Amino acid sequence: MAGGVVEKPEGAYGGSTRNYLNETRGIKNWIITLDHKRIAMMYLVAVTLALLLGGFFAVALRTVLWDGAVRDPNDLILGMRVEQMYNKYFTLHGAVMVFMFIIPGIPASLGNFILPMQLGTKDLALPRINLMSLYLYWIGATLFVGVLAFGGLDTGWTLYPPYSLDRQTSIPLILALSAVFILGFSSILTGLNFIVTMHRLRPPGMGMYDMPLFLWALYATSLIQVLATPVIGLTLALAMVEHMFHIGIFLPQYGGDPVLFQHFFWFYSHPAVYIMILPAMGVQSELIATFSRKHVFGYKAIGWSSIAIAAIGFIVWGHHMFVAGQSPAAGLIFSFLTFFVAIPSAIKVFNWVATMYRGSIELKTPMLYGLAFMYLFGIGGLTGLFLASIANNVHLHDTYFVIAHFHMVMVGSTLNAFFGGVHYWWPKMTGRMYNETLAKIACGLVFLGFNLAFMPQFVAGTRGMPRRYANYADEFTTFHQISTVGAYVLGAGVLLQVIYLTYSWFKGPRAPKNPWGAASLEWQADSPPDFHNFTKPVIVMAAYDYENWEYDPNTGGYELRKEVVESGRSLATAHH
Amino acid sequence: MSDAHAHSHGDHGHGEALPGTIGHVTSAKTLVMVFLTLVLLTVITVAAAQVDVGRLNVVGALAIAVVKGSIVCLWFMHLRYDKRFNFFIMLGSVLTLLWMVGYILFDTKLYQHDMENYRKNKTVDGKVKPE
Amino acid sequence: MSTSTAHSHDTHALPPRPKELAMHFDTLHNQYQAGKLGMWLFLGQEVLFFAALFTAYAVYRGNHTEMFHVGQYFLDWRLGATNTIVLLFSSMTAAWSVRCAQLEQRRGLVLTIAITWLCALTFMVVKYFEYTHKIHVGSVWGDSFHIHNMADLPRGVVDWLYKHNPGLAQMQGEEQLAAVNDMLGKNGLGLGSFFAVYFCMTGLHGIHVLVGMGVYAWLFVRALKGHFNRRYYGAVDNVALYWHIVDLIWIFLFPLLYLIG
Repeated sequence: MAGGVVEKPEGAYGGSTRNYLNETRGIKNWIITLDHKRIAMMYLVAVTLALLLGGFFAVALRTVLWDGAVRDPNDLILGMRVEQMYNKYFTLHGAVMVFMFIIPGIPASLGNFILPMQLGTKDLALPRINLMSLYLYWIGATLFVGVLAFGGLDTGWTLYPPYSLDRQTSIPLILALSAVFILGFSSILTGLNFIVTMHRLRPPGMGMYDMPLFLWALYATSLIQVLATPVIGLTLALAMVEHMFHIGIFLPQYGGDPVLFQHFFWFYSHPAVYIMILPAMGVQSELIATFSRKHVFGYKAIGWSSIAIAAIGFIVWGHHMFVAGQSPAAGLIFSFLTFFVAIPSAIKVFNWVATMYRGSIELKTPMLYGLAFMYLFGIGGLTGLFLASIANNVHLHDTYFVIAHFHMVMVGSTLNAFFGGVHYWWPKMTGRMYNETLAKIACGLVFLGFNLAFMPQFVAGTRGMPRRYANYADEFTTFHQISTVGAYVLGAGVLLQVIYLTYSWFKGPRAPKNPWGAASLEWQADSPPDFHNFTKPVIVMAAYDYENWEYDPNTGGYELRKEVVESGRSLATAHH
Repeated sequence: MSDAHAHSHGDHGHGEALPGTIGHVTSAKTLVMVFLTLVLLTVITVAAAQVDVGRLNVVGALAIAVVKGSIVCLWFMHLRYDKRFNFFIMLGSVLTLLWMVGYILFDTKLYQHDMENYRKNKTVDGKVKPE
Repeated sequence: MSTSTAHSHDTHALPPRPKELAMHFDTLHNQYQAGKLGMWLFLGQEVLFFAALFTAYAVYRGNHTEMFHVGQYFLDWRLGATNTIVLLFSSMTAAWSVRCAQLEQRRGLVLTIAITWLCALTFMVVKYFEYTHKIHVGSVWGDSFHIHNMADLPRGVVDWLYKHNPGLAQMQGEEQLAAVNDMLGKNGLGLGSFFAVYFCMTGLHGIHVLVGMGVYAWLFVRALKGHFNRRYYGAVDNVALYWHIVDLIWIFLFPLLYLIG
């Protein structure tokens, strides 16, 4: 197997083609695998389960909110007051979604699978670290299940002391803190591995500026993961020690400072918001360029704006603390700095739009998600500016306006990009095609449901509906009920996806090598790829040279042009 | 990708390396000298701390610690001979740390008087203190 | 891993692959650099891991100078300085172990690793005595801070107490102790927070030393088995890098906690 590329023996393996999925069988060969593709698929399944769990809590809390105006506060459900249930639902919804779905979601599943392939290499640089990261994720997730088993939490995902540390039952609190600590290290290891891989395993002839923009986005994400995540790890460890021994760092009654906790928490958690959105933007760049069949517009601007977002992410955390006791001077500076986030974000959106301009746009499912992303990210991003201005923020702080804003970004953008990415790379990952009609229906449901759920919340928020309350005044009933209907529609869309995707994995028609005519290197591999990724030498070419591929009606997909295969070189001369 | 293997710095340790060695070989003399310098700097820190010169004590002790830390990084950790990117990782993480420490210190200093006022008038659970 | 790729079509003979070279790297050099870059990123992560504690230190010290001034009397700089020298020495032997690996001096490698490990042990033993003494005196974290006996108080603390409360001299026994704890504890100076910072910082550092002892033990076994050579010694190098950062953090902890009260 020495280093070189191996030809695939045709007809071996009982008629079915040999690939990473059927290379070896048995659960053991999956659990101890070092193959990035298998680890990625296990991550994909795990984060999808986390998404469903978090989604369950979302639907549950929206159900409680259906009749929040008229409910008798003493009503009991399962022996617990409704408000108490509600507090646990929103806490678990936030915690599961943030720490177990959105943060690892795109990088650990799609990134893990695609990153080495877009570099034309066989694996991530540190395969054992990759497996360890998966194990840590499993351990963290198991501890979180323990939190549920021991009665849950009602601190909110932000875990602010003093309430979180001196008014909670010990076992679920400690389980939750250790879970997040461990999930944090899983995330650090993934990021570290990605950076090393992009530095050391780029093929000869591929410079940084030849990498697909997905990889630039993952690079920026990884920088944040490595530099910011340890801070939350230590903060939560300190919180745990404070809870157990009353050491007097965060709890005021022992001489501690609760605002300090918020500083530490947001020093990670604001950059973490960019851990969530940057990979999504990377996926978006791939989707828009591929389905416009046009070289992405402003390559360097999009690439560097990812790095800029990562950097700016570290200097704006205080905008979460405008009314939390932070000094006015610090608030003023943070407000000013926060506006800078808008610049690289807007650069990206404008470049995507410019990429589509005069492209031959194909409205396949991944592209539909891409378009939804742009629309929702536009709203999410711009409402962020309202919140960044400190005077507005005092009014809007902790209202549904904030809820709607960050769901537009974290769900509207990241979740849409995740779905778009999953559909885009599904043929590559599983070797099967999904049902396009069902996929479009699901996409429509997700889009409709999402807008129904969150648009009314902007209005409710500006009219003063505070977040994290199970009950509300009569005037908010309509907003809440529309929102609840939206949550159900969104949930139905997600479930439909899970169903037809799972079905297609086993029964779907076989996918061609390159169904979309995309040009990055992963499409030169078979679908699904060989255990060693590529069976023929990879022809290194820039990621957006679509003219190298032509449609082949025999396979239903795209094939490399003969001239390219023969010369081993891209048709186009350098673009930049 | 495959960079030149050996570095051709004119360091005295270089001549010892076996053919094909990866990385830079630090000479025994350098290692001992670095250690002795660090010990000397430790002695200076301790000695300086015995004289009370107010804020200068802090500045002096931190300055010496920075010098010691840099020596460890540059020689023991080979950053002098290493890829520049590794140096930037270290520098970047230290700058991030300084930014975090600096900004949070700045903010907490500004809100301290709010806390003092609160402590004067109320108990920790928010009740007004009896006169 | 599967090796079922026997039908290799490689016609041109490749040079034999070293057994240490993983399948996805082209050269040992590249593999070495990848491991090292990974370690440096991990060290960057370590710096930020300690950042929250350094911030907590700065915040409490910056806003409560006197707390640190008095608290520092409880710490014995001689023990701190001893541990500093021990760690510096172990850092040298760690760097030396890399040199031995590069020069393929197998006995030297085993020896330097063993010395490094023993230095780490010494450090922890000193730390153990420091901790047990503090627990004995009652000069510990947050709410648990409670001095049990006036005689345990260091000279500097006693001076400070009498300076701020001359009436203390007239009191005796329990009454005096209660007054002292009131002055030093959370109702007064808040030494509990100082010791919280002290124990968290040195404790986390101590955990890192223990982890270092673990990986050095593993390295010791591998060195005995002769796993390393001039082109494959990444593990020795990376563990040494980790050990240096442990030393580096102590270089800052020592003056911050023991010297500049």
